[in-house]
Amino acid sequence: MRILHALPLVFSATLLVAQGPPGGPPGGRGAPAAPAAIDFSGMWTGNMQEDNMERGAGPELVDYAGFPINEAGRLWALSYDPSRLTSRFHQCDGYVAPYSVRSIGNTRVWEERDPKLQKLIAIHWYSQTFEGHRVFWMDGRPHPPAYAPHTWMGFSTGTFAGNALRVETSHIKQGWLRRNGLPESDQATLVEFFVRHGDHITYTSVINDPVFLTEPSIKTTDFFRQPTDPGGWLFPCEDSEQVTGRAPDQVPNYLFGKHPFLEEHANKYKLPALAALGGPETLYADFEAKMKTATVAEARAKTLPAAVPSLIGRAVDPEPKDGEIHVLPLRGNVYMLVGDGGNVVVQTGDEGAFVVDTGSGKLTDKILAAIQRLSPKPIRMIANTSFHPAYTSGNEKLKNAGSDPSVVGTFLALAAPGAGSTASIISHENVVPRMNGSLNTPATPAGSWPIDTYIGDRHRKFHNGDSVELFHVPNAITDGDSFVHFRRADVIVTGDVFTTTQYPFIDIANGGTVQGEINALNAILARTVYEHSGEGGTIVVPGRGYVCDEHEVVEYRDMVAIVRDRVKAMIAEGASLAQVKAARVTADYDTRYGANTGPWTTEMFVEAVYNTLKKK
Amino acid sequence: MNRTSFSLVVAMTSLLAAAPLRAHHSFAATYLEDAPPTEIRGTLKSFKIQNPHSYVQIEDEKLTDKEGNPVRWVVEWGAAAQLSTQNVSATTLKSGDKVVVTGAPGRNAEDFRLLMRTITRPADGWKWPVGNQTFR
Repeated sequence: MRILHALPLVFSATLLVAQGPPGGPPGGRGAPAAPAAIDFSGMWTGNMQEDNMERGAGPELVDYAGFPINEAGRLWALSYDPSRLTSRFHQCDGYVAPYSVRSIGNTRVWEERDPKLQKLIAIHWYSQTFEGHRVFWMDGRPHPPAYAPHTWMGFSTGTFAGNALRVETSHIKQGWLRRNGLPESDQATLVEFFVRHGDHITYTSVINDPVFLTEPSIKTTDFFRQPTDPGGWLFPCEDSEQVTGRAPDQVPNYLFGKHPFLEEHANKYKLPALAALGGPETLYADFEAKMKTATVAEARAKTLPAAVPSLIGRAVDPEPKDGEIHVLPLRGNVYMLVGDGGNVVVQTGDEGAFVVDTGSGKLTDKILAAIQRLSPKPIRMIANTSFHPAYTSGNEKLKNAGSDPSVVGTFLALAAPGAGSTASIISHENVVPRMNGSLNTPATPAGSWPIDTYIGDRHRKFHNGDSVELFHVPNAITDGDSFVHFRRADVIVTGDVFTTTQYPFIDIANGGTVQGEINALNAILARTVYEHSGEGGTIVVPGRGYVCDEHEVVEYRDMVAIVRDRVKAMIAEGASLAQVKAARVTADYDTRYGANTGPWTTEMFVEAVYNTLKKK
Repeated sequence: MNRTSFSLVVAMTSLLAAAPLRAHHSFAATYLEDAPPTEIRGTLKSFKIQNPHSYVQIEDEKLTDKEGNPVRWVVEWGAAAQLSTQNVSATTLKSGDKVVVTGAPGRNAEDFRLLMRTITRPADGWKWPVGNQTFR
């Protein structure tokens, strides 16, 4: 009975958790002294006879029993068509930290010590599959801020607590709880306990995921020590064309209630379909009685969103909101400034700063001070990714603090008095009429309007030793969106087209469309290159939220395309806007991005998708 | 520990240590493994031996798409580390080879995807697997 088998795991984890409260002092409550360090160095392998599906060929579809998933987690998993992995952007998806420990392959562990003091700095846990290299920092350093990047392995700190190494991990990418589509969100955090018994390790993971779980998911795994090096430690992953002819905006997915293999796993093992659909109830012994009466109808009801109001996002807001501007070095001479609504990016150098977007205007003086600390030269150029106030409200002040000597003495200076004595503002031409009041948006001060505009798909500058390109992405959020690519630094600044904080703000009144948004995200992906296992490489700075790479853009693109498909299918069946809203077509994403109040609610997003599709 | 039981422990440990890397994604989730295998015949277009899995692309000799172009199948095979222990290298197969493949069909029929079960090259009789070779 697999469900009852879960109980001892819960108890053992509870005992371990009791040895030290989260964030508590090393050694646990009341410990007189820090416990001695335990050496885990060596090569280890997980036992193949337990969790064989995870360590072998992989779990089957719709096998979620024993996982405390909420409605969003279940619906996300049921929407997952495994064909999605044929996309070159998913082929090299790594395993997230807890799954990398639980799944296939061997592990090498070693210590990193201060060469002079022999103090333990870190424990390295290196998994064969995907070369998953985890570093458990043992030197007391803090976790990074919420606007820092997420990785497959996350950021881990460790302490010795009783007879265990206790590790806390944050900043994990969105990935798999199981590799059958069961999701773990980018908001998940992890607490782990490693207990060594001679040549064995008992490992316990406690995953907290406010987006997809109702309670912590607790699992244990056993490792045995390898007397010899198993070899084969390298795992470079390469993507390739697997399915030819698929349009780039097609993301394989199953519509709600239409999973073609819903009962396959349950029937194979003679389980009620309801049990295979998981949920917190399937962890506990009481569910054994329920299994005797569970009906297929009950299971099928769980494959559709419940008839309740849409839920709100549970993600941490990466914006510090402390009235300060925080600077995060990205790569080379490129920095992100966070704190004033929309993210600001600054490239520094002898030719003067190149700034992308200027924030919401509340902290412009502090943005200016931060730029001046980074770059003693005047601001030379400002690029606007959009006309929206979150990205342009600091324009005038930053412009006036700069100068553009390349303009002085040119015909442009004759035509535009004062040009050159300030920084130049660059944007797509459609931004200007949205700012000067000639269309349906309120006018902003004339000094904030871009003067260096472009018409076509691309605008380019060579600045501070880097090729800087602006790409127009038509009818995405508005009709004037650009993203900016610093080619040498390989940093892409997306503006509102991509955020980690909300559903895309498709501004229909100003030219936005859902299809344009999907195309824009694909245009960004057409320029990204990952470093290893689908992560790293090109840095992507979202309009709002934490620093990303292509993986987050892919997941966001998938979401928008999947929601589009759902709305499209309902329109094809004659559904009204009210019916589409009532169907909760975003139910599996609402606990991540949903909002019922504020400037951009879930309802507004669904309405924008519906209206732009209906117009066609 | 006596000699017999020690030998058994060593043998078991070696077996586990040598356990091949399994699927990056889930085979069971991706393919209809219990369905009758699909057989295809055609011309090999490319063979990429790589991680997490290798892929063979084959142009079907009969089946065509809506535009009348030959259907291209993508056949998933083992990781580079696995195939290298089974006498399969990057030069074992070459573009233009006429091959016959059987495999478990993908769950999405439109992907024209198979999970490799057997591959033969009638021209010289080369085949895989031989004996108990597998990548699962």
